[in-house]
Amino acid sequence: MSETEEPVENAEPESAATDPVGTVDYDALEALLGDAVVRRESHLNAEAFVVRADRVQDALSALKTEAGFDHLSNVSAQEYQDRFESIYHLKKYDDPTQEVSVVVPTPRDDPVSESAEPVFRTADWHEREAYDLVGIDYDDHPDLRRILLPETWQGHPLGRDYNQDKPQIVEFEENVNPLADDHRESDTMLLNIGPHHPATHGVLHLETVLDGETVLDVEPDIGYLHRCEEQMAQSGTYRHQIMPYPDRWDYGSAGILNEWAYARVAEDLNDIEVPEYAQVVRTMSAELCRIAAHLLALGTFCLDIYGDFTAIFMYAMRDREVVQNILEELTGQRMMFNYLRLGGVVWDLPEPREEFFEMVREFLTELPGRVDEYHDLITENELFQLRTVGTGELDAETAKEYGVTGPVARASGIDYDLRRDDPYGYYEHLDWDVITDDGGDNYSRLLVRMREVEQSARIIQQCLDLLEEWPEDEREIQANVPRTLNPEPDAEVYRAVEGAKGELGIYIRSDGTDKPARFKIRSPCFSNLQALPEMSRGEYVPDLVATLGSLDIILGEVDR
Amino acid sequence: MATAPVSIAEWLGYATPPLWLQIVLAAVVSGVVVTVMLTTSALAGPWAKRKITAMFTDRIAINRNGPAGIFTIAADAVRLMSKELIIPDGADRPAFDIAPAVLPLSALLGFAVIPLGSGLQLADPEIGLVYVFAVSSIASVGMVVGGYASGSKYSLLGSMRSVAESIAYEIPLVITAASVVLLAGTLRLSDIVAAQQGTLVSLGPIAIPAWYGFLNPFALALFLVASLAEVGRNPFDIGEAPTELVGGYITEYSSIYFVLFFLGEFLHIFLSAAVLTTLFLGGPAGPGPAWLGIVWFGVKIWAVFLFTQWCRAAVPRVRIDQMLEIGWKGLLVLSFANLVLTAIIVGVIA
Repeated sequence: MSETEEPVENAEPESAATDPVGTVDYDALEALLGDAVVRRESHLNAEAFVVRADRVQDALSALKTEAGFDHLSNVSAQEYQDRFESIYHLKKYDDPTQEVSVVVPTPRDDPVSESAEPVFRTADWHEREAYDLVGIDYDDHPDLRRILLPETWQGHPLGRDYNQDKPQIVEFEENVNPLADDHRESDTMLLNIGPHHPATHGVLHLETVLDGETVLDVEPDIGYLHRCEEQMAQSGTYRHQIMPYPDRWDYGSAGILNEWAYARVAEDLNDIEVPEYAQVVRTMSAELCRIAAHLLALGTFCLDIYGDFTAIFMYAMRDREVVQNILEELTGQRMMFNYLRLGGVVWDLPEPREEFFEMVREFLTELPGRVDEYHDLITENELFQLRTVGTGELDAETAKEYGVTGPVARASGIDYDLRRDDPYGYYEHLDWDVITDDGGDNYSRLLVRMREVEQSARIIQQCLDLLEEWPEDEREIQANVPRTLNPEPDAEVYRAVEGAKGELGIYIRSDGTDKPARFKIRSPCFSNLQALPEMSRGEYVPDLVATLGSLDIILGEVDR
Repeated sequence: MATAPVSIAEWLGYATPPLWLQIVLAAVVSGVVVTVMLTTSALAGPWAKRKITAMFTDRIAINRNGPAGIFTIAADAVRLMSKELIIPDGADRPAFDIAPAVLPLSALLGFAVIPLGSGLQLADPEIGLVYVFAVSSIASVGMVVGGYASGSKYSLLGSMRSVAESIAYEIPLVITAASVVLLAGTLRLSDIVAAQQGTLVSLGPIAIPAWYGFLNPFALALFLVASLAEVGRNPFDIGEAPTELVGGYITEYSSIYFVLFFLGEFLHIFLSAAVLTTLFLGGPAGPGPAWLGIVWFGVKIWAVFLFTQWCRAAVPRVRIDQMLEIGWKGLLVLSFANLVLTAIIVGVIA
């Protein structure tokens, strides 16, 4: 208890200068947690308290209510040779640089720890995933079932004993038809929306219980698009082999934003300093991706409201196409950009630079007119307002309970944007605003995205100015990074960036080799989707569909 | 106005044609008319719809087969006819098979009394208007039977929605049409058209005709909105609602059954356009000689069809409860107000 907090700060390579992490008084926290704490560990992003498996709820609720850590960002689970570990990454919505981790070890022969679900609602799905993939049991969990893999799956794929070669027999049970004779007395109807349905934005299955057309309950059934992204990343080398994967998480044009999540965590882990010029290029390309992703979100959300490939959908696609062309010019790819590298970007802006600048500037000049056109078509349309205002409401408190982030959180009045609150890249030197709205409904979420497009355009404009002025001999696109990266053994770090859908975080534990020992992705869509039942209970089926659209989930990121 | 079979009989030299000739001619003419309507709506309709919607939404649409993709019509016909007919296990057989035929049938029956211009009108009963509404609402039976017999929840929800929609909007539709009856003083459609042939006002060289749409634009607007709901187009597209109910009552239908539903829907749009034209837009009236009537009629119903496509491209769909609210609390009240006001005005003037 006597050690000071200073060494912790120095352990943070990149952000030590900028992050006010020093404001967290870990000693006071340890005193607060009392005898629940077994010992303390230092992770690169924050101090971690190792907590007894039967005192998880006490520890978390003390941190939540008394120390103000109201954001359970992520739960990372892993298996060591001698134990299982669940790590709860906590943050504050007011200041995400204030972090603390709670590590809960459990013995391998009896991996039972207390569930965090009664304290943080969002822990429900995170712990189900930990149970499913790693094999930790959570006591007091309301509904501990597999979440990504089928119910009948044998073994836990990220556990150490898992036999990959063992064939799996997957049986799917037929859903009971409540219209069948033996269900005649029931007034409700079970409707399977998906996995093949025009409105599910990918392969999502919503088990919906209806009373007439009113949604009594809805349960998202995910995992149809699970592609073992975490395990694939664990079998790739830090330097080159992991970077292409993030493009495949949120493939709704948000590739570079995802790449940045990996770049940030890996650069922190390996102590790599990114040249300023590369940061500006990254910032510009990332914001281009954000515009493309938000335009896609806008188009598909309107598709759900209109019910056809109508004018607004095609307009959004048309304008997104311009961004896609710019990104193609820049990266050579339209979807799987693979543009960032550890320590910078893969190459400089395309030559001739003037043409590229011209292309981007033309887009930026036309964008305000396009956005006005959108407002004319949708947000000012009374029928559209009739459909979206006051539906799918999510208040700030519930949103925080579910760990909701990104435009969805900002539309519920939560002023939380990692670009500003936990600065990285070049954002802190630029002039832009974080958009929030207090509505918390489908309309607000749309509005927030549309305004964020304008803010992203502002950022790009400033980046362009900077890049044009940049002296030719100082255009350093990559830092000098060794061919093989072997971070310190047992270094642990959780870092997040503001992806298109919210806080996209990655937890990495290194074991001294050139590949991560554990690579856990914190998907914003995963957490946001979890709030869907809360938002759509008591509303009509069309509102459920609209709400799902307004959450803007990409199943590739939900299921990973 | 003489009906087409009678005029042809006169042309053939029969002053008072015998009954058998009337029946034969009626059959021949109706065959021709129906074929024309079928080809324009079932073939050109979807093609035009694709091109028009593409224009509204900044696309090009079909352009590979022939000029402007016109031969796609043939390709589509072959494709739709040759698809496998999939019948779900849970389908309620005779009902499932009958339902698809009901929609086009009811629309075609409706066309029987519409004065198409150029002397083409198959029948001109005294209760023409009532007859049109009566037969066109048979379509709801097709929807509910099809939706129920499919054995699918989406179909069931879709058909329930369609029926709720039909009931809610049928009443304002009929009440608004009744205000036209008050103005014209007859239910006979040819007489309603004839009553609109005068000039309302002359603005210099431009003579605005006394179409009821000009005389009472409010009633036209009410009728247009109610018609959109009747044919299930945006913003009242909730019976099919692809993003919510997959396909509504036609979810489980494929191949030729699907074609029949599709055809029935298009025919219904054209039928409601034809009724609207007859009641509010002067029917086949237009400049030029009288035999151009069918052309003008075609232009007018296509204009209404274009309007439905425009709505589809630009207006969001309302929710089921909102739709019922608009129907019962809005349109119904307004249409009664319109009827009462028209009655008072007609009473005072006449």
